[in-house]
Amino acid sequence: MNKLLAGRYLVGNSLLHRLDGRVKIICLLILIALVIGSRSVSSYAISVSAVCMIVLLSKLPPAYVLGPVGRLWLFFITIFLMNALFFDTLNPLYSWWIFYPSVAGIKQGFSVVVHVVLVLILSSVLTMTTSPTEVTTALESLIKPLKLIGVPTEDVAMIISIAIQFIPTLLEETEAIKMAQIARGARFESKKLKERAFSVFPLVIPIFLSAFKRADELSLAMEARGYRNAKKRTKRKKEPLSSKDYIALCICVALCLVQFLLLR
Amino acid sequence: MKKMSYVKLSIITAVSIALCVVLPMAFHSIPNAGSIILPMHIPVLLCGLICGPFFGLLAGLAGPLLSNLFTGMPPAAFLPQMMIELAVYGLICGLMMKMIRTKKVFVDLYISLIVSIIIGRVVAGIAKALIFAPGNFTMAVWTTSYFVTGWPGIVIQLVLIPAVVFALMKAKLIPERY
Repeated sequence: MNKLLAGRYLVGNSLLHRLDGRVKIICLLILIALVIGSRSVSSYAISVSAVCMIVLLSKLPPAYVLGPVGRLWLFFITIFLMNALFFDTLNPLYSWWIFYPSVAGIKQGFSVVVHVVLVLILSSVLTMTTSPTEVTTALESLIKPLKLIGVPTEDVAMIISIAIQFIPTLLEETEAIKMAQIARGARFESKKLKERAFSVFPLVIPIFLSAFKRADELSLAMEARGYRNAKKRTKRKKEPLSSKDYIALCICVALCLVQFLLLR
Repeated sequence: MKKMSYVKLSIITAVSIALCVVLPMAFHSIPNAGSIILPMHIPVLLCGLICGPFFGLLAGLAGPLLSNLFTGMPPAAFLPQMMIELAVYGLICGLMMKMIRTKKVFVDLYISLIVSIIIGRVVAGIAKALIFAPGNFTMAVWTTSYFVTGWPGIVIQLVLIPAVVFALMKAKLIPERY
């Protein structure tokens, strides 16, 4: 189980690693809009080129970046075939039984698969070049406007950062509980699906009890130290955006403008 | 009934969000566990039942997001619709527990769970039909994906969640409801 946790953020010193987390998230959203808005060949060319450039700048191993895409190969094939065979029943290339392959369907299937692949690569690059703590700090900063409608953004950021810190602890706890239940005769590795499904019950209730006990202890400790809510807390240092952050934002906005104003 | 402090509610929400990452990993040894057993729904529903609508909504939004950041599941393509679905579960669960007072904990829990499960799936279906898969999402697909494939998860939720709530009340980790 712990193998899954270790692999998301990769330490590095590339240009993307050094960009501010807020800028990376905003650029991700802009580039997702760029990708989803692609319709013509030239706009697809811009989107694919932008994604390739970002992967090169991140200096990440291509196998890592394309790993999530590879894991979903069956999903992509299914989506492509469903569109190619069922999308346009009025103008098919030919028809057989319930299948109506068409040029429009093939184009639509290709378009959907390309969009999903590019968005997947962009989000993978973001998570691999930004630590979870940076993401939390960036999110806290970006959701500040929600304060105007009464959302306690500091508390939200505090909750998310505590959740991140709890994950390794609860993973270890889960492993320990699993071993203890195996010693008591629970069969998690049984080949029968029903047995494996029901074997999770003796795992889940102790996990929840343990997790809530930790939550109880932590909240008592925080209250004993005078913590009430995150509203009046300040940060030790605030890092302003640098020139490379502004340049990255401008390039992403420019690409989007070129796509939506000049090409479609 | 003794109320929990804002700090404790916040920490319980944080723990629920962390369990949204941990539980799917615990279930991953079972084939197709994600779509059949629905492990990420359990902490969100519990958070809504115990902490209320705001914290349930937050757990529903942040849980899948953090799980995607840490483990890559759910995939980014499915993340927005899953966030909407779980957010509705947490919100409706919390609202129902605030509004329903039958003096019997079991009845309150089951009514809240069943209503939130149904409304959550309806909202997720509407979101999918209008935003995420317009034109490709029919009633038959909705029924199959949310009720036929997911029925073991619904049964597990209806059996497990009240059991967890009672275990937590017995251990005095959350206050008694009545």
